[in-house]
Amino acid sequence: MVAIFAAFIAAGGIFSAYGINPIHAYAVIAHDALVVPGAFPEIFRSTIPLLLTGVGLVLAFRAQFYNIGAEGQLLAGAVAATGVALFTPVRGPMTLPVMFAAGFVGGALWGLLPSLLKLRLNVNEVITTLMMNYIALYFVSWLVTGPWRGPSVRGFAYTDQFPAAAWLPLIPGTRIHWPTLALGVVLAAGCAVLLARTRLGFAIRVQGENPEAARYVGINALRTTLLVMLLSGGAAGLAGVGEVAGVHHKLLDPNQVSLGYGYTAIIVAWLARGQALATLITATLFGLIYSSGDVMQVSLQMPFRVTSVFNGLILFFLIGSERLLAYRVRWAPRPAPADPPAPAAAPHRPSGEEQWE
Amino acid sequence: MRGHVSRWLTSAVVIAVLLAFIPMGYAQQKLKVGFIYVGPIGDYGWTNAHDVARRLVEQQLPVETLYVESVPEGRVEPFIDRLVAQGAKVIFTTSFGFMDGTVAAAQRYPNVIFAHASGFKRARNLATYMADFYQVYYLNGLMAGALTKTNKVGYVGAFPIPEVKRHLDAYALGVRAVNPQATIQVRWLQDWFSPPKAKEATQALIADGVDVFAFTEDSPTVIQESAKKNLLSFAHYSPMYKFAPKQVVSGELVHWETIYLDFLRKVLAGKYSADNLQNVDYWWLLAEKAVEVGAEPGMMINPLFVSRLKAATVKTEDLGTLSVYDLVQKRIAQMSKNPVAFDPFAGPIKDRKGVLRVPAGQTLTVAELTSMEWAASGVVGPWPGEP
Amino acid sequence: MGVVDWILGVLVRGMALGTPLLWGALGEIYAERAGVVNLGVEGMMILGAFFAFAAAQVTGHPGLGLLVAAVIGGMAALLHAFVSVTLRANQFVSGLALSMLGLGLAGLLGRGWEGFPLSNPLPELSILPPLGVLLAVALWALLYHTRWGIILRTVGESPAAADAMGIDVALVRYLAVVFGGMLAGVAGGFLSVAYRPSWTEGMTGGIGWIVVALAIFASWDPLRAIGAALLFGTLFHLSFRLQAWIPPEPLQMMPFAFTILVLAIAARWGARAWQAPAALGLPYLRGER
Repeated sequence: MVAIFAAFIAAGGIFSAYGINPIHAYAVIAHDALVVPGAFPEIFRSTIPLLLTGVGLVLAFRAQFYNIGAEGQLLAGAVAATGVALFTPVRGPMTLPVMFAAGFVGGALWGLLPSLLKLRLNVNEVITTLMMNYIALYFVSWLVTGPWRGPSVRGFAYTDQFPAAAWLPLIPGTRIHWPTLALGVVLAAGCAVLLARTRLGFAIRVQGENPEAARYVGINALRTTLLVMLLSGGAAGLAGVGEVAGVHHKLLDPNQVSLGYGYTAIIVAWLARGQALATLITATLFGLIYSSGDVMQVSLQMPFRVTSVFNGLILFFLIGSERLLAYRVRWAPRPAPADPPAPAAAPHRPSGEEQWE
Repeated sequence: MRGHVSRWLTSAVVIAVLLAFIPMGYAQQKLKVGFIYVGPIGDYGWTNAHDVARRLVEQQLPVETLYVESVPEGRVEPFIDRLVAQGAKVIFTTSFGFMDGTVAAAQRYPNVIFAHASGFKRARNLATYMADFYQVYYLNGLMAGALTKTNKVGYVGAFPIPEVKRHLDAYALGVRAVNPQATIQVRWLQDWFSPPKAKEATQALIADGVDVFAFTEDSPTVIQESAKKNLLSFAHYSPMYKFAPKQVVSGELVHWETIYLDFLRKVLAGKYSADNLQNVDYWWLLAEKAVEVGAEPGMMINPLFVSRLKAATVKTEDLGTLSVYDLVQKRIAQMSKNPVAFDPFAGPIKDRKGVLRVPAGQTLTVAELTSMEWAASGVVGPWPGEP
Repeated sequence: MGVVDWILGVLVRGMALGTPLLWGALGEIYAERAGVVNLGVEGMMILGAFFAFAAAQVTGHPGLGLLVAAVIGGMAALLHAFVSVTLRANQFVSGLALSMLGLGLAGLLGRGWEGFPLSNPLPELSILPPLGVLLAVALWALLYHTRWGIILRTVGESPAAADAMGIDVALVRYLAVVFGGMLAGVAGGFLSVAYRPSWTEGMTGGIGWIVVALAIFASWDPLRAIGAALLFGTLFHLSFRLQAWIPPEPLQMMPFAFTILVLAIAARWGARAWQAPAALGLPYLRGER
């Protein structure tokens, strides 16, 4: 919070440079992002994919599996859902549930290869999941310019529009596709329970905090990691379903399907500090940040790049100040949850095989 | 300590919220017009051209304009909401990808006037508009056909969509009208803006022996790249003459302001309202001065190439034998009349597979032009979606 | 004759795009060898591209533009180093933030600079491509055959051991990250003063992200980075050259699929040389275990 205020002050300099009084700027942003009719629900539109993807990532990070591939898993979910909507005979009220199921499976499968490689061959998952993102990107791009290009879109790189049964219902008066939001909330709660109350959750926590101990108490690392990755990829896949069935109603250029949600969700999960329920807050925070960015452009008529500067500053202050705060509370007794695992790229190495060659 | 901070925070939040309720108090009478752009204003292409027009509109009419740039396709509706909340009464959405979002918004805001560029769906409060280049590409093709020495001219296309295919076909018809031996080599980028792709596509065409270039991409990359090998090119969209003054022959320039000014004048005069736009479709060309031949405003043909174009002769059915330079001038004059005295797509025209596409004595309707999928004869290269 | 010419021509084109990729990747390799991931390459590159163009346009010296780009890239990297080394904040988030900040600042500062050709551009295939190869060889030698290289690798593999040896871990990481930023700046500058001598907002177009992937693809080895950059560049060019026969997406996708394959094979045969620095991404605090 302090960090965000510091970022606001720094960003105030930018507003001044554009000849806008910073206080007036923030007043306008607060007014037009929160108070103007219809503006408030808009915050939750980008919250939805961030929430689903973020919860999945929290789970993976807790198990020390650094899944950077949510973007690709999201796209895989979107592809699977599109396949169901356009190229299967599934119609009627069953369409949406089948699409969600397919999306979950699609996302989970997209995460499967990296997890198998990690488990079987100890290949660094940060690399493989990242590479899988690019592969998904080109795959979607190929689909919409090639075999799936719709006959009704006059040659543009889109599929045809989904039939009405494949459109997610919206909360009246808003553009929130509520089934996806509900899924996100349920998933966040479910994961919190899973982590705190179940055997699998226990296994995940032990494995994440101390892999040696996990082996010692007989936790099956293979099974745990696979389950975590299926859930994590599946959650991202659900987010992909939400985007194509709730927003676009077609498959299109991969950079339009997901506005980098899979990457932003890494930050969402990291800020949630390993707590599934906290993603509800962090995902909403990012929804608010996006929404404020929109307001800056429209109400203050600023170039869209201002929002990237603004978001960059907020992030820097958020992560920078965290350590400064940590210094201050050093003398206090450590709070119960130890320093959360940062989504770092260090591959796990069994001890004993230390040092450089 | 913590409590102190949170108390400070709470008061800050309260102040912020209070500030938010302070009425902004704009004294506004001017008509507010919103523009939604697909790319950044700094693209020096499509979006830049719309923004240049927006600023001209603001200078010349008693309106206030608002804009948003780099809007993703899935977010056009929320941005329309915000523009309407800001008081916009007329909204222009400037990309094909915004079509469905604009249609939905037009239904939700029946009292707001919408106009969508390059689309084909209209409603009582939603018009469509397009400043199209096909005539200009034909004229560029005439010059390219006369100037190629290898008999291979190149075209770097953005997406294989009807708009680009139409321009490419018109260009090819122009080339073949002057030089029946010439072929038109094509590469696709699958991108509106990508200097690296445009660059490698140009290089691939150079390797195939192409010596004159035209393109559809929002940067001067093709011009710069071909000029390094001293090969000729035609500019696209923005004034690009200065990027290669010795190699740029001519090009296409757009004047969106002609459409915006006309449309908004009619709105201000009460002629257009949110009730009578069902059939309003601006399809503006040379005659309406929405487009211009040239790579720099006012310079139709680079003076360096005038003598070569005057030296090249061509036989036509309607005008007899004349120089290519004169042919270009005559065709411009014919197409600057309303109705036009000449159309590039006048039949008989067969596509490259030999199928008759335009019967003798006919021309194409706007609907046929905007859904064109076939490739003109002489076009060589991939052609996704070819019928 | 024809075939050889064809292959040579394709390779030369591969080198054109390969050059900014190589410079950027070499920088990223050094930063990561010291244990610091920098996802801010795209931001550092675009800042380099803009400042190089502006400086070259104003002074008329493209070389000076590249120098300015290096300084700017280094300064941007310094921010990342401060946040991730001194404040020990999350490197991934800090890098993402740097990319946003760089893209944003370059976009804002670049207003009004677009639409002009650079008056005195650098030929595309003049000094930077061969210099990049030489640099790669030099950096490889430095990394594997000097005391400095040992220090750098130790810091990346086991900062605690380095600390015990009396090495200033933070200093080494700062130097590596800033050096990486300077190379990224040059890579961006190459784009705006040589590759396509003009400025357009967003002109890096994701090349910075490919650089990050490339550093991994090259398995953090400067020599392999030469081949990796050339392969990326060549496949990119081929996707247009062969367009009549193969759609471009599979070709452009290939390096990424190839990376996974190589890693899997290398892991299968237990090739240690293909693994990441052990302390990659981890902040180091003396006394923390």
